[in-house]
Amino acid sequence: MRTSVMSQMQRSFSIDLPSLIPLQLPSRRETHLWYILPDEVKSTSLLKRYSQFLSPIEKDRVDQMRGDELKKNALLARTLVRTTIARYQTNKAVDPGSLMFKKNMYGKPEVDWQNCKNYNVQPLHFNISHTDSLIACGVTVHAPVGIDVEDKERKIKHDVLAFAKRFYTTDEVNFLATILDPEAQRKEFIKLWTLKEAYVKALGKGFSAAPFNTFTIQSKPGTEGGYSLCKTSEVTANPLEKTEECNGRWKFDLLELAGSHYAAVCTEDDQADEGAFSVDTEGSIGFSGLFITSFSFLQELL
Amino acid sequence: MATTFSASVSMQATSLATPSRISFQKPALVRTNLSFNPRRSIPTRLSVSCAAKPETVAKVSEIVKKQLSLKEDQKVVAETKFADLGADSLDTVEIVMGLEEAFDIEMAEEKAQKIATVEQAAELIEELVGLKK
Repeated sequence: MRTSVMSQMQRSFSIDLPSLIPLQLPSRRETHLWYILPDEVKSTSLLKRYSQFLSPIEKDRVDQMRGDELKKNALLARTLVRTTIARYQTNKAVDPGSLMFKKNMYGKPEVDWQNCKNYNVQPLHFNISHTDSLIACGVTVHAPVGIDVEDKERKIKHDVLAFAKRFYTTDEVNFLATILDPEAQRKEFIKLWTLKEAYVKALGKGFSAAPFNTFTIQSKPGTEGGYSLCKTSEVTANPLEKTEECNGRWKFDLLELAGSHYAAVCTEDDQADEGAFSVDTEGSIGFSGLFITSFSFLQELL
Repeated sequence: MATTFSASVSMQATSLATPSRISFQKPALVRTNLSFNPRRSIPTRLSVSCAAKPETVAKVSEIVKKQLSLKEDQKVVAETKFADLGADSLDTVEIVMGLEEAFDIEMAEEKAQKIATVEQAAELIEELVGLKK
């Protein structure tokens, strides 16, 4: 699976509806990952324009957030999702504000194509994740996607191993226990967290469908940065015997964004072609294409 | 449960253990000012706001504030949603761990994941503490 991280600096001179740079949909084996650093968005008039894209429900949601920073981040998250999806449309006049969303039966958000005005139906899947300092949106076609981002420096308030014993699998605890340096251990814990979250989000069936202690994610030996998923099945006659099912159906990528965050991407690969699961080492973390810094379009130039 | 019902209310008695919640327009204790017309059809589900003790709610709020590194003056009450405070999934799990430690209980993951507000956490805690006895 290849992940392209995209971002661009773009100056927009338009006053009313901003012009969105159109995008080509990702290829089947590709994930596009868009991200924004909230600290880089300072203009209140820009934020006001962004709020025009939001639905009344989304606006209420933003207002419910406690504190200006949280409100701003909630606004930016919705803006990122709407504008990103709008950019993949071939109709350039499409309005990010007219996108409609719905939830699947487990609560995972999806595009409600039937109700979007002027939008062509696309086999597009998306997922967002945010932390205080970074908001990301992943896009795929034909396959569900899950994204999770975390600040690399995020401190865990509990003992990492105690936390892992409580929520992760035995194999994962054993892996973490071999890391003696607490800092390195904490980092691996966070990476595992993002990978596991990304999987649950890709699955889209809520946490009860895949409790964290029922599946192990581990690095694939022989690949650089490759991970695989092994499910621990408790459905055996002998309760002490756990069968592990490791298959290539779910693909993972773990990236570093903006030098400050881990981002895990998980998608389903119905072709399960092991050979194609590679991480391109061109650029800082492989992907084909336009990689870069942060996505801040609509920077006004007044 | 901190509510009392008049004899004319016919409904399923609920024990602490069941997750069904009863709420009225007015929160907390239900007294005779409940406007209730027996001739109207009784809804099959009513819900009650905040059945948990204030002390539990306060303790939960304290733990939440600590986990999310909130300022002392940040208002955290029963109805407060963790998400509104900027808690992400990792925060929520850490909050659960903090609550488990503080109350010496263990929350099943599926139940823990469903906790979205301070009062839901407090109610689940009281349910689990109650079962321990």
